[in-house]
Amino acid sequence: MTEGIENNGKQVSDGIIVIKNLTRQFGKKVVLDSISLAIEKGKTTVVIGPSGCGKTVLIKHFIGLLRPTSGEVYFKDQRIDNLSDRELNRIRTHFGFLFQGGALFDSLTVAENIMFPIKQHHKITNWHEVQDVVKTKLTMVGLDGYQNYYPANLSGGQRKRVALARAIAMNPEVILYDEPTTGLDPIRADVINELILKLQRELGETTVVVTHDMKSAYKIADRIVMLHNGKIIADGDPDHIRNHPHPIVQQFINGQISPDDLAVLRMSSDISQTQFFPRDFE
Amino acid sequence: MIAIVRTKTIEDLGNIGRFGRFVWQAMLTSLRSCASGRTYPLIWNQMNIIGVRSVPVIMITGAFVGMTLAVQAYDQLAGMGLEEHLGSLINISVVKELGPVLAAVMLAGRIGGALTAELGTMNVTEQIDAVRSMGTDPVRYLVAPRILACLLLTPALIIFADFTGVMGGALVSFFQLGINSRAYWDFSASSVELWDVSIGVVKGFFFGGAIASISCYKGFNCREGAQGVGQACTEAFVASFISILALDFALAVISKAVYATFWPIRSLV
Repeated sequence: MTEGIENNGKQVSDGIIVIKNLTRQFGKKVVLDSISLAIEKGKTTVVIGPSGCGKTVLIKHFIGLLRPTSGEVYFKDQRIDNLSDRELNRIRTHFGFLFQGGALFDSLTVAENIMFPIKQHHKITNWHEVQDVVKTKLTMVGLDGYQNYYPANLSGGQRKRVALARAIAMNPEVILYDEPTTGLDPIRADVINELILKLQRELGETTVVVTHDMKSAYKIADRIVMLHNGKIIADGDPDHIRNHPHPIVQQFINGQISPDDLAVLRMSSDISQTQFFPRDFE
Repeated sequence: MIAIVRTKTIEDLGNIGRFGRFVWQAMLTSLRSCASGRTYPLIWNQMNIIGVRSVPVIMITGAFVGMTLAVQAYDQLAGMGLEEHLGSLINISVVKELGPVLAAVMLAGRIGGALTAELGTMNVTEQIDAVRSMGTDPVRYLVAPRILACLLLTPALIIFADFTGVMGGALVSFFQLGINSRAYWDFSASSVELWDVSIGVVKGFFFGGAIASISCYKGFNCREGAQGVGQACTEAFVASFISILALDFALAVISKAVYATFWPIRSLV
C-alpha cells in the first residue's frame, strides 16, 4: 500500500503512479538518484530537464520497461517493480506509450499498427468493429484515410500521430509521451500539443509528458517536474516553475548557457590554434 | 593483463548465461505457442519467409555440392578401378554430411543475417519496447514464430538440398564422367540407408534451432546504431556457423554410437 509521499514539501496522496526512492544505475553511472514522485490521476504532468538527465529512463520505470536498481514503483497501490514479465504485461494494458521516434512496426500498415494491441488482447469476432475503432482513433489524430499506408510513407509528424493513435487504441488510463514534439517543425509540434490537450479533455486520462520543449510544457502542463543530475530540483505548476528561484531552472526554461559552459567554450577557442581549412588541401 | 582476462571471462560467462536463459525462455514460449491458434498466422508468415523463399538457393547449393563431389572423387576411385562406386560416395556424403551442413550454412547466411538485422533494427528503433509496452511478450510475438519456422523447415529444406545434390552428382557422373547409370544406382542403393537420410534430416532440426536462437538473441541484444546492427549480424553468422559445425560433430558421434549399437557391421563399399 502506498502512503502519500512528499514532493518538495507537498504531500500527494492520490497518486495513480507512485515511485519511492528510485535509483537507477547503468554501470557506474547513476542516472536517477533516489527519486520520489507521485503522478496525480487525471492530470497532465510534464517532466522537463536537459538531454540525458534521465527523463525517458524515469517514465520507462512506470511500465516496467526498466527495473530500478533500488526503490519501488507502484501503480494504483500495487507494487509493480518486482512483478514477473507476465504479470507486468497485464499492468501494461492500462498504459499507452508514445515513443520518441514513434516506434511504429514498419512491416505493418497504419491500420495494422493501431489494431496490434487490440488483436493481442481480445479475441476478435467482428472485424468491422475493429476497423471502426481504427477509423475513430485515426480521426482523433486527423489521419483518417491513411489506414493502408506503411510508416515509411509517412512524414515524421504523421508517424507520431499514428503512434499516438496506437497508444490510445485500448483507451488506456495513463498515456506516457516521450518527447512528443522533438524533431517536428513548430506548427507540427503545436498540432501534437493540441492533440495531447484534446485527448486529455475527451478521454480524461492521466498524462505524463517528457520534453525539453518549454513552449509545449507551458501549454499542456498542470504540473511541471524538473530533473537535473538524477534529482528532482523543481516541482510545481507552470507559474511556479516560471518564477522558480533555482538558477539551473531559470537557465533551462530561458534556454541560456551556464556561465561555466560559456567559460569553457571561450577557453577552448583560445587554446585551439590549429585549424584545418579546405584551401590547405588544395 | 590478469584483470583484462578476468573481466573478459566474466563477460563471456555472463553472455553464455543470458543466451542460455533466452533460449530456455524461447523454447518454453515456442511450445506454448504450438498450443495457441493465435500464433499460427505468425508462424505461417515466417515459414513463407524462411522456408519457401529459401528453396531456390538451397537447391542450387545442394546441386553444386553433388556435382563437385562427383568431379573430385572420380579420379581417386578410378585409380583403384572403383569408379562405379562413385554413387555410394557421393550420395552418402550428400545426405549425411555435406547436404545438411552446407544447406544450414547457407541458411545461416540468408535467414540468420536477415533475422538479426530485422530484430536488431526493431530493437534500436524501440519497436521491441513498443511490443512490450502494449502488454505483449516480444519473445512470444517475435522469437517463437521464427524459431518454430526454422525448426520445422530446416529439415524440409535439407531434403531439397539432398535431392538436388543426388541429382547433380548423378548427372555429372553419367554425362561428364561416363559412369554406367545402373551400376551407379545399384551401388548407391546398397550403401545409402534410410538411417543416413534420417540422420541428415534430424541434423536439420538442430541446425535450424541453433540458427534461429542465435540470430534472435543477437538481434535482441544488439547495440545502438547501424554499426551495432552490422556487428550483431556478423556475430550471429559466425556463432551460427561454429554451432553448426560443433553440432554436426556431436551428432555424428552420437549417431555413430547409436548405429553401432543396433547394426554393428557395415561397409561403405
